[in-house]
Formats: sequence, C-alpha cells, structure tokens
Amino acid sequence: MSQFIIRRVIRGVVALFLFQFLLLALIYNVPYNFAALFVRGSPARRAYLETFYGLDRPLWEQYLQWMGSFLRGDLGVSFQNRSSTVVEMLGGNAARSMLLFFAAAIIAYLLGIWLGKTIAWHRGGLFEAGITLGGVAGYTAFAPWLGFVAINVFGWYLGWLPYNKIVDPNVWYQSPVRIDWVLGKLVISSIVLALMFWAANYLTRNIRNRLIRFGLRTASLVVVLGVVGTWWTEEGVAVYAVDVLRHLVLPLGTVVMLSFGETMMLMRTAMLETMQEDYVLTARAKGLPEDVIRDRHIARNALFPVFTRMLLNLPFVLLGSLVIEQVFDWQGIGMILFNAIQFQDLPIMMGFLSIVGIVTLSAHIFLDVLYVYLDPRLRLTNAV
Amino acid sequence: MSSTGAQLSQQSTQRYSAFDLLRHRWSANFLQFCSSWDTFRRNPLGIVGLTIILIFAISSFIHPMLIGTVWPERIYDPMKGFDIELIPHPTAPSSEHLLGTDNFGRDILSQLVFAARSSFLVGLGAAVVAVSISTLVGGMAGYFGGMSNAILMGVADVFVLAPAPIILLIFGLIVTLEVWHIILLYGILVGLGGQAIVVKSHTLTIATKTYIDVARLSGGGHFHILRQHILPALMPLALVQAVFTVVGAVLTESLLSFYARSNDVITWGSMIFLNQRTFRWFTLDGQWHAIIWPALAIMLFCSSFYLVGRALDEIVNPKLRKR
Repeated sequence: MSQFIIRRVIRGVVALFLFQFLLLALIYNVPYNFAALFVRGSPARRAYLETFYGLDRPLWEQYLQWMGSFLRGDLGVSFQNRSSTVVEMLGGNAARSMLLFFAAAIIAYLLGIWLGKTIAWHRGGLFEAGITLGGVAGYTAFAPWLGFVAINVFGWYLGWLPYNKIVDPNVWYQSPVRIDWVLGKLVISSIVLALMFWAANYLTRNIRNRLIRFGLRTASLVVVLGVVGTWWTEEGVAVYAVDVLRHLVLPLGTVVMLSFGETMMLMRTAMLETMQEDYVLTARAKGLPEDVIRDRHIARNALFPVFTRMLLNLPFVLLGSLVIEQVFDWQGIGMILFNAIQFQDLPIMMGFLSIVGIVTLSAHIFLDVLYVYLDPRLRLTNAV
Repeated sequence: MSSTGAQLSQQSTQRYSAFDLLRHRWSANFLQFCSSWDTFRRNPLGIVGLTIILIFAISSFIHPMLIGTVWPERIYDPMKGFDIELIPHPTAPSSEHLLGTDNFGRDILSQLVFAARSSFLVGLGAAVVAVSISTLVGGMAGYFGGMSNAILMGVADVFVLAPAPIILLIFGLIVTLEVWHIILLYGILVGLGGQAIVVKSHTLTIATKTYIDVARLSGGGHFHILRQHILPALMPLALVQAVFTVVGAVLTESLLSFYARSNDVITWGSMIFLNQRTFRWFTLDGQWHAIIWPALAIMLFCSSFYLVGRALDEIVNPKLRKR
C-alpha cells in the first residue's frame, strides 16, 4: 500500500512538472509579451524591460529559473503590480472568491443531492421531468448570459439587489473595519452555522414524527441564526455584513443555478443504481419505513460517486470564478487571472494554474488511494 | 455416397462465407439496435432531445436554400444583411423578421440558424476527436497494463491538469482560433485527460472477463482481441461520452467567441456578446429578443444533447432502467 502511494505521488509530481513546462512553452510562444504591451516606439526600452523581467532568455532557462523558485515556495512577483508577490495578490483576494464559490458549491451540492434523491424516489411522471428539465437547463445555460439576466432583472429592472462589486462605498464610508476582516468573520460564522445545522439534523434523526422533526430542525436553525445575528450586532458591524451579504445574493444564485444540475443528475443515477441492490430488498423485507430505507440505506450509499465528483470538480470551483467574477465585477482571484491572461502576466498565470494543478492532483491521488484502500482487489492488478 | 470428411468441411466452409458472416453480424447488430431503440423510446425526455436536435439539423440544412429564394440575400444574409425599411434597428419581432433584428439590422432567426451549423461542427467534431483518442489511449492502457499503462496514464495525468477553456484562451493569443483549432484542441485536452482515465478503468473491468481469456487461449493476438472484443465492449461508453463532450465543446466554443477569441464571426456566443454590448438600458422591450434567442439556442442545443446522453446512459447501464 505504501509503495502504491509513493509511486502514485511520484507519477503525479512528474505530471505536474510536465504540465508546468508545457504551460510555460505555450505562454512563451505567444508572439507578444508584457514588455511589448506597455512600451510603444522605443525598442531600447522594450529590450531593457525584457531583460529586466527575464523574458528574452530561452525557454529552458526560464523554466529552470521558475522551477527553482517554485520549489522554494516562491511564485515570483507579478509584472503588473511590482509591489506585491503573486502569493500575496492571490491570497489577498482569495477570501472573496472562497466566500462566493465555496458557499455556492455547498448550497449547490446540498440542493442537488436533495433534489436528486427526490426525483429518483418519485420516478416517472411530470414532477421528475420538470425538475430534470430545470436542472439540465441550469447546467447548460450560458454563464455570462445568466449573469446578465440576473443583473438586469433583479438588479436594474426590479432594483431589489446591488449587482456589482463586493460592497457599497456609501455604507462603508469611514468604516472601522476592513473588508477582508468582515469576509473572514462571515466565512467563520457560516461554517459555525453549517455545523450547528448539521448537528441539529444529526440529533433529531431518530424522531419518527415528521412534524416534530421538522419543527425542531427549524427551531434550532432560528436559534442559531439569532445567536450569530446577535453576535454580529454586538460587534457593531452587522451593517457591513448585511451589505456584503446583499451583494452576495445575485452571484451566489447564479453559480448555484449553474451548478446544481450536475450533482442532481449524478445523485439520481447513483440512487437508481443503489435501489437495485439486495440489501434494499432485505431492508424492505424487514419492514423498515420507506423514508428510512431511502435516507439511510440508499442515499447514503449513493453519496460515494457524488463525493468523488465533488472532489474532481474542486478545480472547476476555482476556474468558474473566471467568468462569474468578470460578469459581476467581483474582485476575486478569477479577475486577477483574467487580467493576467490579457496582459501576459506570466508569474500570475503560471502560479495560479500551478495552484489549480496541485489541487486537482491532490484530489486525484486521494481518490486513487481511497479506491485502492476500499477495494483490495485493485491492488492485485497493476492499477497504478 | 463417397462424401468424405474433407468434402464435408469444404461444404461447411462454403456455406459460411465471409459475406454470410458479415450478414449475420449485421442482422445481430440490427436486432440489438431495435431493442436499444425500444428502451430509448420509453424515455420521453430523450425523445424530446432527439427531436430538438433534428429540428436544429434540418433548419441548418435548409438555411442555404432559404437564402436567395424565400429570404432575399440583401436583407437576410446573416453577416451583411440589412433591412432598410425598418429603421431604427433593433426592431421587435414582426412578420418579416420572426425573431426581430439586431443592432446592425440583421435578421436574428437567420443568424441563429446559420450559427447552428458551426455549433454542430464544433460539437460533433470535438466529440469524435475526444472519443477516438480516449478509447485508443484508455483501451491500450487498460488492456496492456504495465509500462504502457504507466506512460499513457502519465500523459493523461498531465492533460487532466489542463483546464480546456483557459488553455484555449491562451492558445487564442498565439494563433487566430479557427473552428478546427477548437475542435482539435478541445478534443485532445478532454480526450487525453479525464475521459481516458474513465475508459481505462472501464477497460480494466472488461479485460478480466472470461471471454477475453478464452479468446487469448484460442490463439487470438493482441490486435485481434482489442479490435474484436475490447473495442465493441467500449463502444456504448464511448457513445455516452461523445454526447456529453458535445455539451462541453459547444459551451466552451460559445465562451471563446463571447470573449472574441474565435475567428468564427457568427456564433451564438458572439451574438450574445454583440447584443449585450449594444444593449440600451432605456428601450428594454425592444432589446431582450436579441439576447434571449441565442442564449436559448445554446441552452436548448446543449440540453437536448444532454438529455439524449442521459437516455443512452439508460440503455448502456441496465441498472438505471425502470422495472
């Protein structure tokens, strides 16, 4: 087993290095570079800048230099913004993107799992067809257009919600706190909220009466919301939190619309496959209630492929930011990458895509190891 | 009767000629197709998807015939047409222009149908490229194992790290992206990446089946087993993957032309881009049709392929069928 893990990790690291080399070769072949974009008419100045940024050196030399600093954990300094390193630039904006995309991913997964469970259970008929069509339409919708419609209808035409940037400058004028502080606190309180909600669900799982169960869950949610709300008000920054949350609604809704369909269809497929298993028949024969069979015997086993897909889709959570942040003017890491591609900002492109690569690679290695661990038959074949 | 064993065997070889074998194989395939079609027909959403795809196909086929006969080229040409009688543009849907006109006075319906052609080209082309690569690479890696598996899966590991839209965005800075660039690049990135890994793990389950061992024991070579036994067993998976690749390829192509990186002038993505850019805030009711139709076309096109893929999945995977 340990030998398998070591071989898998070595293969992954070699793949990452190869990917970085190919990426650098791709960027190297772009007929203009950062120096050429900014200086007009002075070849001497351009040559000086190229030497300064190291852009005039051959490919392998650039690669070795980049690799050396990468292995030391240094992703270099952005061309556009000489005063901060790539790690600082990405890290400084990471909280904004994380808040939007991880919240959206969690909501989309919960919604998708719940809907997929429901439509697999009530199979056939108009209900399933309607939900399926909705999910597929959201999944295949054109992302910039969906954002445009949301902005126009809810932001402009109805005027309910703000539709660009993260905060409203009028509210934040002379505020005592910084945006990232509020964002960090929001992330923490949403994690607390999610944990509390999960705990409430877990504690009330054995209550058979539907009404009491839902009542208790709702009551606990209200209590936790009240506690968190009180904490925010006591801190005196509830206004800013509400402002951020109001700006969050439209992008969050758009991302959820775009991404819940895939999970839903996957969950449905997994549910239908699990329903044919013999232990479900056994559970029925034992006379267990139908919703217990559905939730504990089928849905829990059907979660495995959904979990796999969730891990494999982690990089797309990062990359999805590219389009959505552009549409909603959400100043996160996706905007940085988009600008970097336009301005040929080599350190940011390499750094960002390397980080995405590392995340992808870790997910793949983790899944491979998990599958081999769970299914020992794979060890006998050379499944590496 | 002086019929000997030699004569009999000669007779039997004559009776089952190569043509007969082919005929029987085709009739078996036809029966298989009929039963699959029966399963497919029970899925109403799959039928809806197939119908929409057919409508798109037919309309993009008759578009060149309409131009010049029913629709005068001067008015209805997707790129250069202009209706001089209906200024100022954009105009709302009318009897002459069923979906209205865009900011440059061009007919939306004509553009929509014209752009369907390139969407079909990109989607189906990318699907063919991706599926042939993934079946070849994944099948070989799963069947041979050992060194070839390590090398091929190493390549797949490299390509799984490369996000197709971003690589295409960067590639669009090097060359002017034509349709075939998008087809080839998307096909290679997707086919060598995630799909090859899926096909490989599927091949592993096939290669351990008994009939592969039997084929090997009866003296079948590697090429024979791959071609006669592994490849047919991989075909259903390949079909499902192809249909889902169409969705991804069309969405990626729309994104690229939305960001003006594709050299294809009239596509649904570029129509959305253009109409968003020229969107006037104060004439909302005169404008929405110009944006909604191309976006709905993308959504319908991809959704119908997705629904067909889902119905095919039900044929391939008998566990999903309704009992």
